[in-house]
Amino acid sequence: MGGLQKKKYERGSATNYITRNKARKKLQLSLADFRRLCILKGIYPHEPKHKKKVNKGSTAPRTFYLFKDIRFLLHEPIVRKFREYKVFVRKLRKAYGKAEWTGVERLRDNKPGYKLDHIIKERYPTFIDALRDIDDALSMCFLFSTFARTGKCHVQTITLCRRLTVEWMNYVVTSRSLRKVFLSIKGIYYQAEVLGQLITWLVPYQFAHDHPTDVDYRVMATFTEMYTTLFGFINFRLYQTLNLVYPPKPVLDGTLSVEMFSCAQQKLSALSASLARVVATAEEEENQLDLFPTEGEDQENMQAREKEQKEQEAQKRLFEGLKFFLNREVPRESLAFILRCFGAEVSWDKSLCIGGTYEVTDETITHQIVDRPDMDKQYINRYYIQPQWVFDSVNAQMRLPVEDYFLGTTLPPHLSPFVEEKDGDYVPPEKLKLMALQRGEKPVQEDDEEEEEEDDEEEEEEDEEEDDVDDEELTEEKNLKKMEGTRAQGKTLAVKVTPGKVKPWETGSVGNKVRLEQEEKAEEKRLAIMMMKKKEKYLYDKIMFGKKRTTREVSLTIGVKNGESPKGDKYS
Amino acid sequence: MAAVKRLKRVAALQPGFISFKWSAESDDLNSGRRKRVNKNKKKNWNKHSDIQDVEEFLDDVRLQERTTGLCFLCLLEVQERKKGKKSKSRPLRIDLILQHDSLVPPPKDVLAYQQPNAKKLRRIAENAEKLAAMGVLPRRQKLLLNRRPATKTSKAKTAANNFPDRPYYDLWGGEGKFETADPYYLEQTGKSCVKRPEKLNVKPSILPAVEVIAPGGSYNPDFFSHQALLLEAHEVEVMRERAELRIERQLAVKQEDTATEETVFEELVEGLVEEEEEEEEEEEDVSIRGGLQQEKKTEKERKRERADKIKSQQKQAARVFTDKKQQLFQLRSIQATLKRREQRTRERVAQRKANQEAEKSMPRRLGRLKFQAQDLEIQLSDEIPGSLRTLKPEGSVLKDRFKSMQKRNMIEPRERAKFKRRHKVKYVEKRAFREIT
Repeated sequence: MGGLQKKKYERGSATNYITRNKARKKLQLSLADFRRLCILKGIYPHEPKHKKKVNKGSTAPRTFYLFKDIRFLLHEPIVRKFREYKVFVRKLRKAYGKAEWTGVERLRDNKPGYKLDHIIKERYPTFIDALRDIDDALSMCFLFSTFARTGKCHVQTITLCRRLTVEWMNYVVTSRSLRKVFLSIKGIYYQAEVLGQLITWLVPYQFAHDHPTDVDYRVMATFTEMYTTLFGFINFRLYQTLNLVYPPKPVLDGTLSVEMFSCAQQKLSALSASLARVVATAEEEENQLDLFPTEGEDQENMQAREKEQKEQEAQKRLFEGLKFFLNREVPRESLAFILRCFGAEVSWDKSLCIGGTYEVTDETITHQIVDRPDMDKQYINRYYIQPQWVFDSVNAQMRLPVEDYFLGTTLPPHLSPFVEEKDGDYVPPEKLKLMALQRGEKPVQEDDEEEEEEDDEEEEEEDEEEDDVDDEELTEEKNLKKMEGTRAQGKTLAVKVTPGKVKPWETGSVGNKVRLEQEEKAEEKRLAIMMMKKKEKYLYDKIMFGKKRTTREVSLTIGVKNGESPKGDKYS
Repeated sequence: MAAVKRLKRVAALQPGFISFKWSAESDDLNSGRRKRVNKNKKKNWNKHSDIQDVEEFLDDVRLQERTTGLCFLCLLEVQERKKGKKSKSRPLRIDLILQHDSLVPPPKDVLAYQQPNAKKLRRIAENAEKLAAMGVLPRRQKLLLNRRPATKTSKAKTAANNFPDRPYYDLWGGEGKFETADPYYLEQTGKSCVKRPEKLNVKPSILPAVEVIAPGGSYNPDFFSHQALLLEAHEVEVMRERAELRIERQLAVKQEDTATEETVFEELVEGLVEEEEEEEEEEEDVSIRGGLQQEKKTEKERKRERADKIKSQQKQAARVFTDKKQQLFQLRSIQATLKRREQRTRERVAQRKANQEAEKSMPRRLGRLKFQAQDLEIQLSDEIPGSLRTLKPEGSVLKDRFKSMQKRNMIEPRERAKFKRRHKVKYVEKRAFREIT
């Protein structure tokens, strides 16, 4: 009778989980090795639903792993390598202690190492799986490549990361896959579309930064080890799809045929050279895809897709034909990368980095990117603009008017392309202007005049404020409010002016067509609303009410002028 | 018996042997003989050798050198050199004796030079040389040369994982070597790999790997989005302050509770006044009397209790009966209450589902430490740069990546390990200080 009783914690969730220390002992590894193994194999701790059951009655916070995962780990061949490494360290220490230098050399020559290829193949059985996970790998590799080459972390890792990131950037340049850029205070966010996958990654700025102390370097180094392996294989495959030679070689001109590897590597990292191909092809021809309508799709959808594709192709050639020159104080690598991604030619001062193809004095330069308040020597037939023009143009998918970005002007705000506004949400006035530009409206000249007047007013105010030093904060706040007010005024002024302006959809056959389409759509919507059931209509009304409320609030905050009701003070 | 007995070799150890040396000497006090010391050990060179005379001589020489600049030894040498050949050291006499002075040369030992087969060996060597000059090699050498060079079966040096020029290949392209082979064969020979469990392919969190910062975090932000971001950060700070205030409030002491002179006096005086004692006694009597009264229950009371019980039971039954009858007429209100209850349960179910969904995006509690979200990276209005050149980057991407991995349940939250001492450090005063105090 006693033997057949059901005992507690012998089956169910209590046996499905295992604590970290028990798992470590089962694998006979040290804690650092166990952590490393879990990171490499992609085994993560789990939080059980009923902690008390799993912990056998106690509520002490413990780390739990699934028992089946740990059993799977037992079959891993690199576990043996870890143990061999431990033994190697012990022998080496003994040899050092006994001062047997030949022994030390011999041991060093036979240092045990391991490869991670089979782990990558097991974790990502297909190429697309790996491509989905490349975000993390990219960010880590870019981060590590910006580290200083002191002995703190292996210099080899840093070099490898740098090489991989350069290869990736060259691939993106050659395939023209970059879509969005965002400059933030943390770093630069990029988004590219590779083989149908949207990939976002973050690149820190190149300035020196202090390393925070509460980050575990060993963990990050292990992640990087795994990610560099993954990244390298992905790079190889991507280069294969474009018929490029891997490891990449820059196309060498006749003059540079006797270059050593390091020079070639630097030239690649300069991002100004195009890559050598396996099969020497001529310039890329436009691929005219055959138009086969898929089953069930109408002509309309196909046309829409065609239009999208054409837009994409046009976007890829955004800066084609333009020649840029980067001044010394702008972030060279980022700008070179972006400009080359869209077909431009870039160059820089020879003293900055190798790879600058032409000098400042070249007459055919169309734009020069400068970040100083003013330049002394100015050429007539080129535009001197601030770097934000490039980023904003990429996000707007068109070449923005250069006047807003001249030297010395206050730049328009840099908006985030990763924000998708739904109907009724607050849309910043700059974005509205941008969308108008994209649609083809030109900005009114009077607006510019108004803005100039406002700028003058602001300057006057600033002079006055410089006198009283005590009320600095107050005046700053006032200044801010006034700026926003004038900005808001600018917008409302635009609205005031537009009635006199010619509206595009009131004249011409094109305008008529657009209007008719819109009317049809509105009709259809009204019909659909009438046909809804009572219950559905009730829900629909609720949703619209909520939306209208947000739009009302938004318009209120925009319409705040100086000295109005305190509703606007929420934001100041 | 004779075998057992061993001859004592040393005469001094034979019984009856009288040693004369020591006893004689020990009587004499002024023996004048020095104790025998072992001068073979290095330790005893310094102790028991007398070098006084040598030291005196050397001191003399040094003094002379100091005073005159020359010592007489040097002068002697110089004199000898001047004398010339005669001063050359003559060969020692023993060497002269040992030289050969006979004119007869010693006989040669023919046997020492004899070699059996010398001619034959010489001939063979010459032939071999001639053949080698022509290019014909003996069989042994031919075999040796034909042997393949010993391939150094050095273990393939698995290069470290992170060396910069490591080559990559097509991992997903080539056909798996084991796709065509028999699975049983592979399993038995240990060539097949264990399959990865399906659960491991699921990502531990639905959050994206790289979360883009809010639009207010741009280096040149739009006014309202920047204000929105500042508001968020402000709210976080407000929550923190409130938490601190809550703790302070819980620990706060009421002003009224502080001891004043009056209360202190009252406490001291308590129990000393006589009136209070009498009151206490009376109270005790009352309670005792009350307890004594209730001891015995009479029969009457018991009967009455029983009757009361039956009556109340009957009443209850009747009430239940009427209630049940009346429930027919209360159907509508009953339905209403049921509907309300059902609605409540439905609401609760929906709320629970929403909570579960929200939990999926929250970081799970994986270890001893709770997840601490990092501070929002913001720049105040006066810190916003006008241009890219004057931008000061905020926050560290390394920390951001570390926290992101914790948020996505890939690693457990870690903090820096504190240095704990196993044993307390014993305080020992320095010698100098001990002397002072």
